[in-house]
Amino acid sequence: MRRGHSAFKPFAASGRRAIPAIVLTFALMSALTIWLSIRATGSSQNRAVVVEVAGRQRTLAERYVKEVLLRRLGEQADPRYISSLLSTSARALLDGGTAPAVNGDDDDTALPAATGGELRAQLTQEARLVTDLSNVGASVLARGNAAAVPLTAGEHITAPDPVQRLQIVAALASNVSLNASRTIAVDADRSVSDLIVLEIVLSVGGLLVSLLLVWVLVVATRRQGARFASLVNSSTDLVAVLGPGGCRYASRSLNAMVGRHGADPLGPGLMSLVHEEDRPLVEAVQADGAPREIVFRMQSGRGDWRHLEAHVSDLRHDRYVRGVVLNARDITDRIALERELTAQAQRDTFSGQLVEALEMVDEEAAAHEVVERAMAKISDVTPIELLLSDSSRAHLERVASSVSLPAPACPVTSPFSCVAVRRGSPVVFDSSEALNACPKLRGRAGGPCSAVCVPVSFMGRALGVLHATGPDGTPMDGERLEQLTTLATQAGARIGTVRAFEKSQLQASTDGLTGLMNRRTAEGQVRGLMGAGRMLALAVADLDHFKALNDTHGHEAGDRALRHFAQVAHSVLRDNDIVARWGGEEFVIVLPELDRDQAVAVLDRVRERLAESAGGSHPSFTASFGVTDSTVAESLEALMHVADAALYDAKESGRDRVAVGHGVAESPELVAVPGAPAPEPVAPLWGANRRAPLHEAADEEEPRPTGAEIR
Amino acid sequence: MSHTRATRIRRGLGPAAIACAIGATLLPGCGSATRRAGGNVVPVTERDFRISAPSATTSGDVVLQVRNNGPDQHELIVVPDRTGGLPFRSDGFTVDEEALQRAEVGSLDPGSPGAVRDLRLHLAPGRYILFCNMAGHYMGGMHAELVVKA
Repeated sequence: MRRGHSAFKPFAASGRRAIPAIVLTFALMSALTIWLSIRATGSSQNRAVVVEVAGRQRTLAERYVKEVLLRRLGEQADPRYISSLLSTSARALLDGGTAPAVNGDDDDTALPAATGGELRAQLTQEARLVTDLSNVGASVLARGNAAAVPLTAGEHITAPDPVQRLQIVAALASNVSLNASRTIAVDADRSVSDLIVLEIVLSVGGLLVSLLLVWVLVVATRRQGARFASLVNSSTDLVAVLGPGGCRYASRSLNAMVGRHGADPLGPGLMSLVHEEDRPLVEAVQADGAPREIVFRMQSGRGDWRHLEAHVSDLRHDRYVRGVVLNARDITDRIALERELTAQAQRDTFSGQLVEALEMVDEEAAAHEVVERAMAKISDVTPIELLLSDSSRAHLERVASSVSLPAPACPVTSPFSCVAVRRGSPVVFDSSEALNACPKLRGRAGGPCSAVCVPVSFMGRALGVLHATGPDGTPMDGERLEQLTTLATQAGARIGTVRAFEKSQLQASTDGLTGLMNRRTAEGQVRGLMGAGRMLALAVADLDHFKALNDTHGHEAGDRALRHFAQVAHSVLRDNDIVARWGGEEFVIVLPELDRDQAVAVLDRVRERLAESAGGSHPSFTASFGVTDSTVAESLEALMHVADAALYDAKESGRDRVAVGHGVAESPELVAVPGAPAPEPVAPLWGANRRAPLHEAADEEEPRPTGAEIR
Repeated sequence: MSHTRATRIRRGLGPAAIACAIGATLLPGCGSATRRAGGNVVPVTERDFRISAPSATTSGDVVLQVRNNGPDQHELIVVPDRTGGLPFRSDGFTVDEEALQRAEVGSLDPGSPGAVRDLRLHLAPGRYILFCNMAGHYMGGMHAELVVKA
């Protein structure tokens, strides 16, 4: 019952039991044969003695007749002794005992009891005839009536002569003795024949049993081998045994990998399938059985290279193997995955660092620098350039390129001349000489090349293109292309964002009509300058008779006049001077590092330029200015108040002039003008280029806190 | 003769034949038919020391079916009965077979106890003597007369 549930022991030597069974069978058969031979030999020896004694009976019977006759003739004879010998021997032959020696001629002979029906019948008959012989002999010696002697052995002797009767009985006894001897001899022959047959039977039987056991052994060995083969072959592991002549065993899985149409892995064939670079390693393993773990490449039946990780077992001294066993697993997929993960990690790192770097950038130029550094990270041999469109989106300009390499120098000038920009997806060209290559790749300084063009965009709007070139016929690999795409995406996003931010910031800080700073921005900047303790002059400007201009020529003309004033002021002022539209037709001009007197000269140039530029698309107009500087007050509000008061003076004094404010507490009349007499506060400081007022009535309606309008 | 030999072989190999099939091939049809067509069957029984047989049979082909009941070995010799009786050897009690050779009708060699053998004879009408001529057997009583009628 346990047999059916016994544990599976694939390498248990069940066949080993057959070997002792074979030995035991041979031993049993041999022992039985030897025993039978010994027994037969012993029996033959016994039979020889019996045959001798039985044969002696015949001689004794004849001798008895002679002795009786001699005795009857009065000669010296002892027939009784012979009769006694005959009787004793006959009994010994039949039932076992001692056959006595005959007159010292031989020794007493121990006899076994007779066996076998025929022999015992003959010996019984012999004993009877010996008795009859003795009785008839005694009668002859006694000269009695021999015919009256009763016969016990079935004789029917009709002869009347006593001697003849004696001779007949003796002949019968002699004959039966002879036949008993023959029977014994025949039995012996038969025994020998039987023994021979039995020994043949035993030998054949033993041979058959042994053959059966050998068969069992062979079957068990085969089954064991088949189990081993099944285990090895059903395993997905690739097993090979390497010996001095090459591969001595290749598992089914290895053969399957190598493929039916591939080279035979056995013999030297295996090494030819190993990758050239890995061959020394595998040859070392074949020669030394070391190292314990190796990874090598082998060509599969499909022609691709499979990466195998093999455990090496040195079984060269194992007489059942005599080789180096490679137990290998196909790790191609694992290696591919690892590589992909590594590349992904690198991409992630690159992408992450790029995003962080771009996040820290708040100006486009800085973004360009980041892009250049990223280009160096992608490759230090592949020239890359970034071509971006300007705000008009009509022209492409190179804004960044690989620092240490000559730029690919794509001659494209317009975003929409670039196929990658038009398609909105990366384009790879294997060769500039191909029929379908971009025409802008041909005729480059470096000769034929491969190229990659990745569009840069923001919110679906094309910004430009990332362009890289490489050796002809060898385009950029997938990993770098991926990085380039990442760079295009991230740079596009950041540059687009920066541009949008700058634009919105500009819009928030400027006056929409004139493009000048608006009041809020200007206030911030002036406060900043004043907070830093910087010297500055501040002027308030106002277009003269602006209301009348609007009423007469319409608001469009008024707007044009305002824009014209802005342009004129810009053209006269320095880059770091501030001019802002304060509201309506009022402007504030801040001149850092200047005092009010220096400022008067500058403002006068503005006024003069206005006069020079009269005509054109706008009606001519003049402007009045009130100016002061940071020495008169510490706050912007106070400064503005002084400047406003001065402007009022300028207006009151007749417009188209500059009035200087000296302090909050000063009355307009106390305005001091350099080079002018103090008692004439209302006298115009600069009166050149006076023109007729456009609308005096309008100006008169505007109330002013102090001073009089200057004409 | 052949029957005698066959019988001996059968007796000798009998036990072994049970154990081994090899011997079986040597014994095709042995001892199977004791009664065969082609003559009167005359049963003859021999034992120490007497021959029992029917006193008469018809002439022509005769099969003497001779059974030896032993215990000694016995032969069987068939000779015509002559008025002068059988000649003896010099011992005075053994029939002189050489002198009878011409007259001998048929004979069986000495056979073992238990054996049954056939002696085929073509017998003309007349008187015949059946006897065993082993030492002392004839004079010991082993002879019988057979009358063959026409």
